[in-house]
Amino acid sequence: MSEKTPLQMTIAQALNRAHHQILEAEPRAIVIGEDIVGGAGLDGKELGGVFGVTAGLASRFGTSRVIDTPISETAFVGMGLGAAMTGLKPIVEVMFCDFIGVCFDQILNQAAKARYLSGGRIDVPLVIRTTMGAGDGSAAMHSQSLHGLLASVPGLSVVCASTPSDAAGLLKSALAAPDPVIMLDHKGLYGMIGDVEADLPAVPIGRGRLVLKGSDITLVAIGEMLVRATKAAAQLAERGVSVEIIDPRSIQPLDTDMILTSLEKTKRLLVVDEGPSYGGFADRVIAVAACDGYSALSAAPQKLTPPHTPVPYGRLLEAAWLPSSEAIVSKIDEMMYEE
Amino acid sequence: MNTLLSLYKEASFIRAFELHIAVASEAGHVPGLVHLCSGAELVEVAICRSLTGPRDQVTGSHRSHGLALAMGADPVAVAAEILGRKGGLSKGRGGTQHLIAPERGFLASNGIVGAQVPVAAGAALTAKLMAAGGIAATFFGDGAANQGAVLETMNLAVSLNLPLLFVMENNGLGQSTSADYASGGADLCARAAAFGMKAERMDGYKGARAIKQSAEIIDYVRMSGKPAFIEANVPRLSGHYFGEKADYLAHHEADDPLEDLAESLDSGVAERVRLEAEQAAHDAVSDALNMGEAAPEKSAEVVL
Repeated sequence: MSEKTPLQMTIAQALNRAHHQILEAEPRAIVIGEDIVGGAGLDGKELGGVFGVTAGLASRFGTSRVIDTPISETAFVGMGLGAAMTGLKPIVEVMFCDFIGVCFDQILNQAAKARYLSGGRIDVPLVIRTTMGAGDGSAAMHSQSLHGLLASVPGLSVVCASTPSDAAGLLKSALAAPDPVIMLDHKGLYGMIGDVEADLPAVPIGRGRLVLKGSDITLVAIGEMLVRATKAAAQLAERGVSVEIIDPRSIQPLDTDMILTSLEKTKRLLVVDEGPSYGGFADRVIAVAACDGYSALSAAPQKLTPPHTPVPYGRLLEAAWLPSSEAIVSKIDEMMYEE
Repeated sequence: MNTLLSLYKEASFIRAFELHIAVASEAGHVPGLVHLCSGAELVEVAICRSLTGPRDQVTGSHRSHGLALAMGADPVAVAAEILGRKGGLSKGRGGTQHLIAPERGFLASNGIVGAQVPVAAGAALTAKLMAAGGIAATFFGDGAANQGAVLETMNLAVSLNLPLLFVMENNGLGQSTSADYASGGADLCARAAAFGMKAERMDGYKGARAIKQSAEIIDYVRMSGKPAFIEANVPRLSGHYFGEKADYLAHHEADDPLEDLAESLDSGVAERVRLEAEQAAHDAVSDALNMGEAAPEKSAEVVL
């Protein structure tokens, strides 16, 4: 089979394949996290991570490079940083981004600042992989979307992949970057199937992906909100409303050129995001449009985010909390009507 | 030069270096506050003698001027960094609490109490995987002993078998709060032992013994690939930061380990060594002061 023959696989499978390729090609690459091997200290088959992303790594590359840790996020994220500062290329998995609250000092003050404080002498090729997103009844402490919060810290890059090929390709770029990169996978999308090239080519950090061409409104979204946006756009297309959808892929740095170029054409912006309604990623994209795209806009840029509360648990409560594709359709209808 | 005399020479240089930094601070040449290591020099030099960068890497606290020097960082570049000068280790971007000289085995010092400890675990992991005989060491105070980062890392190092030496410099004070007040269970060495690692006390006033003990415990970490812990009693001879004038300091007086060490040496030789160290420290800080202040190269936003 040619390297370029497309394969079909899920995001979880593409990430797993990318881990295998990275550890094979780069002897300094290691993987650190909780239950990424699974069953440490017990006999039995390895778990391969709670989402299966690290399956088969320990048996192939050994437990000196694929390291299960105690439940001590501060210690093992800091260990990843120290390893990155001294020549290794660690991929550290934090099971849910909510747990970043536990180890935030090592991210906010240590990892994000190490290269700067060294006067640029020390590269920090550290990747922190974690998950985000509501919708599966995991409640307030296993469901948040903290991409905007993390992107506000100088020194961190933040990426969110929404396809199998982007997940694998961004992981490869993240490990090659001189600064720490935090990669948030939407846990509701691990089973999403898509085409990938067998060699999983790197996807550059900082470049968005034009998901759908359109002419009436620009819609920016990632993760599950991107899935819902795509569904809403199909409905709107039937009624003659043409939506252009941008998946930024990279939260920081943000592909502002792609967004502003699109606004020149559509003159309207809607951001749909699971992050907070106050000071979140949606606010950042709107600020870009307001500050640098104002002359192109024919209507006020808008956002759809959850209400400013923790993620609720009950099925109906959680469903009401998340922006739905129906809500996206209504919002766009409203924006089109306003003019 | 015999071992004790060279220990005295190195420690005296660090003492004099800190005094010249204090003078520069009083003259308004230091952008912020400085936390001097006066009192801990002997322990730091004794331990760092058995460590060789860059194979071995050390992380330290906010009070790490002496530690960086003990690992062999260029004194002029260290002083220049503390003074926010162009020729600083990090071109003035980091400052007194962020000294970074990994080429000499000083990986980083830190502005967050205890946060340097997990980072050292990473250096220990690298040393383990590179299998070139290196180890990591991390220095922190009794104030950090109650930080989760430190306790987590002690457990992690035992769990993962990391060649990591924990050095707790117990000066009895976390800023202005006594260790007795702050620590539930005052035996901090026993705490470390409870994690399942070799843990020893070191007398910060006994130079010869500190050198021998350091060599032995570092050899143990290097050979076994396992962590170990030292609790060293050291005085904090200046305030939490230089220039601090607070009543609590009057209730915390201590002897000076360097004076004790000098008394064990030939007085004439010791005085000559001390004066040479004083001159060298003076020169290093003066050279740094003569460098221009670190300034934006292009615009205020372009600082790397």
